[in-house]
Amino acid sequence: MTSTIQAPAPRQLATNRATRRPKNRRSRFLRRLPLNIVVALLLVIVCYPLVWLVLGSFKTQDEFLSSPFWALPSTPDLSNYTEAFAKANLGTYLINSVLTVIPALIIGLALGTAAAFALEVLVWKGRGPTLGIFLVGITVPAQIILLPLFTMYFQLHLLGTLWPLIITYTAVTLPLNVFMIATFFKAAPRGMFEAAAIDGASTLRMFWSVGVPMVRNGIFTVGLVQFFFLWNDLLFALTFTNNPRLRTVQVGLLSFNGQYGSIDYGPLFAAIVVSISATLLLYLFMNQRVMRGLAAGSMKG
Amino acid sequence: MVSRFITRKGIAGLSLVISGLLAISACAGGGSQGAGGNGDGKFSGLTLTATTDVINTLNSLSTGDCQAQNTSAPLTLDAAPQDQYDQRLQLLLSQNGLPSTFLSPGTPDLGRKFIDADALVNVSQVLNDAGLKDAVLPAASSLVQQYYGSNDLYALPVQLNIEGIWYNKQIFAQHGIAVPTTWDQFLAAVDKFQAAGVQPIAQNGANPGWGITRWLGAYIFRALGPDAMRKVADGNAKLTDPQYVAAADQIAKLGAEGVFGKAVASADYNQTVNTFLTGRAAMMYMGSWITENIEDPKQNKVGAANIGFMRFPAVTGGAGAIDQMPANAGQPLMFAKSAFGDTSREWLKCIAQNYGDTAFEKSGLLTGMQMREKHDLSPLQRVVVDQVEGSPSTVLWFEALFSSQATTISTQNAGQLANGSMSGTDFMASVQAALGK
Amino acid sequence: MAISVFSNRRATALLVMPALAIYTAVMLVPIVWSAIYSFMDGGLIGGFTFTGFDNYTQFFTDPQARSALRFTAIYAVAMTIGQVALGYLLSLLYLFHLRRSSTIVRTLVFFPVVLPTVAVALLFQRVFGLAPVEGPVNALIQTLGGTGIDWLGGTASAVGVLFVMDLWRSMGFYAVLLYAGLMDIPEEMIEAARLDGATGSKLVRHVVLPMLLPVLVSALVFSINGTMKVFDSIIALTGGGPAGSTTPLTLYMFQTAFGFGEYGYGSTIAMVLTLLSLIVTWFILRSTRRHLTAS
Repeated sequence: MTSTIQAPAPRQLATNRATRRPKNRRSRFLRRLPLNIVVALLLVIVCYPLVWLVLGSFKTQDEFLSSPFWALPSTPDLSNYTEAFAKANLGTYLINSVLTVIPALIIGLALGTAAAFALEVLVWKGRGPTLGIFLVGITVPAQIILLPLFTMYFQLHLLGTLWPLIITYTAVTLPLNVFMIATFFKAAPRGMFEAAAIDGASTLRMFWSVGVPMVRNGIFTVGLVQFFFLWNDLLFALTFTNNPRLRTVQVGLLSFNGQYGSIDYGPLFAAIVVSISATLLLYLFMNQRVMRGLAAGSMKG
Repeated sequence: MVSRFITRKGIAGLSLVISGLLAISACAGGGSQGAGGNGDGKFSGLTLTATTDVINTLNSLSTGDCQAQNTSAPLTLDAAPQDQYDQRLQLLLSQNGLPSTFLSPGTPDLGRKFIDADALVNVSQVLNDAGLKDAVLPAASSLVQQYYGSNDLYALPVQLNIEGIWYNKQIFAQHGIAVPTTWDQFLAAVDKFQAAGVQPIAQNGANPGWGITRWLGAYIFRALGPDAMRKVADGNAKLTDPQYVAAADQIAKLGAEGVFGKAVASADYNQTVNTFLTGRAAMMYMGSWITENIEDPKQNKVGAANIGFMRFPAVTGGAGAIDQMPANAGQPLMFAKSAFGDTSREWLKCIAQNYGDTAFEKSGLLTGMQMREKHDLSPLQRVVVDQVEGSPSTVLWFEALFSSQATTISTQNAGQLANGSMSGTDFMASVQAALGK
Repeated sequence: MAISVFSNRRATALLVMPALAIYTAVMLVPIVWSAIYSFMDGGLIGGFTFTGFDNYTQFFTDPQARSALRFTAIYAVAMTIGQVALGYLLSLLYLFHLRRSSTIVRTLVFFPVVLPTVAVALLFQRVFGLAPVEGPVNALIQTLGGTGIDWLGGTASAVGVLFVMDLWRSMGFYAVLLYAGLMDIPEEMIEAARLDGATGSKLVRHVVLPMLLPVLVSALVFSINGTMKVFDSIIALTGGGPAGSTTPLTLYMFQTAFGFGEYGYGSTIAMVLTLLSLIVTWFILRSTRRHLTAS
């Protein structure tokens, strides 16, 4: 470890060398070429579908079904979008999704982080079994809790509200939150906690001022994962919402399916684009935080 | 590492917690009665999001002919997507919380279970008591009776479709083919199309491939008689009996010859309709709900006048006849016993009397309910009505009387039958195995 | 003094109890509730009767259950290997090849996770389509002189499409997850190893991989538990067909419980799946712990 003190960072090393000797730059370019091609291919594979989705929102039913995959819409106009908004109450659905997912996400992360801290950092009798109980939640298929939960919500007269979704979403994120954030606590240097303890910090203070900042990037990463898991949920949303006013975006996308199996592709894609645009903003914001968190994490190392 | 928690002590702790929870869950299980109540003061309904015809008609009734009923018990209508609709109905039933009225489950099998559980209002009885016996068309009435295997009606047939083969008149004329009335003529026509490089049939074989099994069912009814599937359901015949397998072999043979196109096992409903309505296939088996698509010039590129309807051809020497019309009553409207009171009774009577006319006026739709006024029909509607009136009896479809298990297997395997990768014998054996459960 | 901070009973309860209470009420109670039904015959309509282990015996003689079990196992093992391996390769690509410019690539590759399942399924149905319009895959095959394949119409090829689709969706996520782990490896350690003459694969094998192990284990556990319970993408892409070739235990359970009206047997299927997941998870955690202590 001592040898690292004088050594410059490898990245600087590389750039210094490259600027000094142009001949090296060409060979470096050639050396990097195969992998650059891989990266380019990768980007096409992940980006083109997005373009296709957007193009699809301007196509007619016939164009979508009969024209080649690569074809551009012949008469691009916003009719699919107007039809999408006419057929499905997209604004309401988006609000419902946000109202259920965001509170559940925040509560789930807060409670999960607290529990993970207690389970990984603190010393107490029964933490093994408790972690084990949370692990059961990761291994169980979600379909199995539908009937009991439906019964509970029905008896509590909650079914005409968004509460069943908020409650369920909060609970289903907990096992993974606890498990993953506990892993991040595990990786954190224990010395920091011990130092804080010697400084006379209380347990809760240690959690808040030392523990939480240390796993911040972990929390954001888990949060991002859970956000998309919840945002894309159809199983719970379909089971616990009867009223069209309570539909989430994913349930709303089913509005374009007909009774015998038909689908209105154009309006469906328009609705998908609208719903993605909304999430995209959130995603970019959260992604910024995650990446910043990651960068901070790496500097800490 | 995290694995440290899986210890013997951990398991002991776990079982302790679980036994504690049992007590809690036992309390939670026996709560108060459902929100359904006896229905007085409100009339709740649940339909499919996709059945805009039913939604529009019920809403129109509430402000029109059934205004009085709506004043004493206002209609509150919810709509759910088709996905998980059956699950939702069962969950509501298990809580005694079914809405006053709702569209039936997707499979008749589940509807029969609802009847067995005494969850449904006997519609016949209510109508008879009110002197409204004739509110339901006889053909539709017989369909619902066949659905649920009961002489009493447990649902109002608010949807009614005849089924058969829709064909492209232009393509038929181009190749000099007359509308076939026997299976042999039909096969000859198919050969001619094949030879000319025209795809004879567009059909949905992707899971659920009911389009394909419609061909099988219709052939069975023609060859073995209108009670052929009833016999299977009652256990008096098996799908693995040679005459049934022979029917499946007919479809498998068409499949092996590529009559359904080159990707039938992944062809979904939309592709099928699009292929037919853009003139790339000569025929398609479908219910009369398709008239809506045929009359839409954005979807139909060959013109509504160019689409004809033919009855499923007769099988020479078969026990069935060409005028036994395959038909379905879609998802009929049921009434929950748990939410049935005096106001619901008034609603039911009002719906029965006025649904037919209102549905036609608002959605241009023919239903299984009697119309009291005369209406002008579009040419295609005229075709449908003529076919209904010209058919002395109706038959259902292949899976109509199956258990849900057998229906799932049948529609999942249909694509393999239609692209020639599954023999008639194997197909029938797989469905029969599921029926036997 | 320091010890007491780490074992403050009241603070511990305050931190653990809220999560445990919600989790217990909303997940554990329902799980136990359904576990009890797994020993009963019947469904939501008509009620239940206690039948002991009959459902479990039925499970092991039920050919459909066996085929669902086989598909679940194949899918879970193949997908877990695929997801974690691909994610790992991508994370190495980000760290050692793209370095600081990796943010945009990372973001874009992650993007498919955001898309609604319905959209992804429609996309792959088109990409692998044959008729009425050829998708890019069949177009490529025919350009190369082959004949088009009805991918989603064949029992084996449909499984293949499902794999490709789910890999495409999830690789970016695993890449970010493992990248986060890589970033936490102190740079000095890598540099020290470099100066000691370790390069390329040697560096990865002896320094990066052991350091990454905790995160890798998380990824493995997460992946195997996700893939063993695959549901949404199958509903959207194939609905379990053709001929049941893509029906996993979750879908069979769902059909049994809510479609066929046999909630008791459906619960049994779910319980078997839960037990399998628990065993596999335990096995992963157990074997990697041994590995960790050994190294």
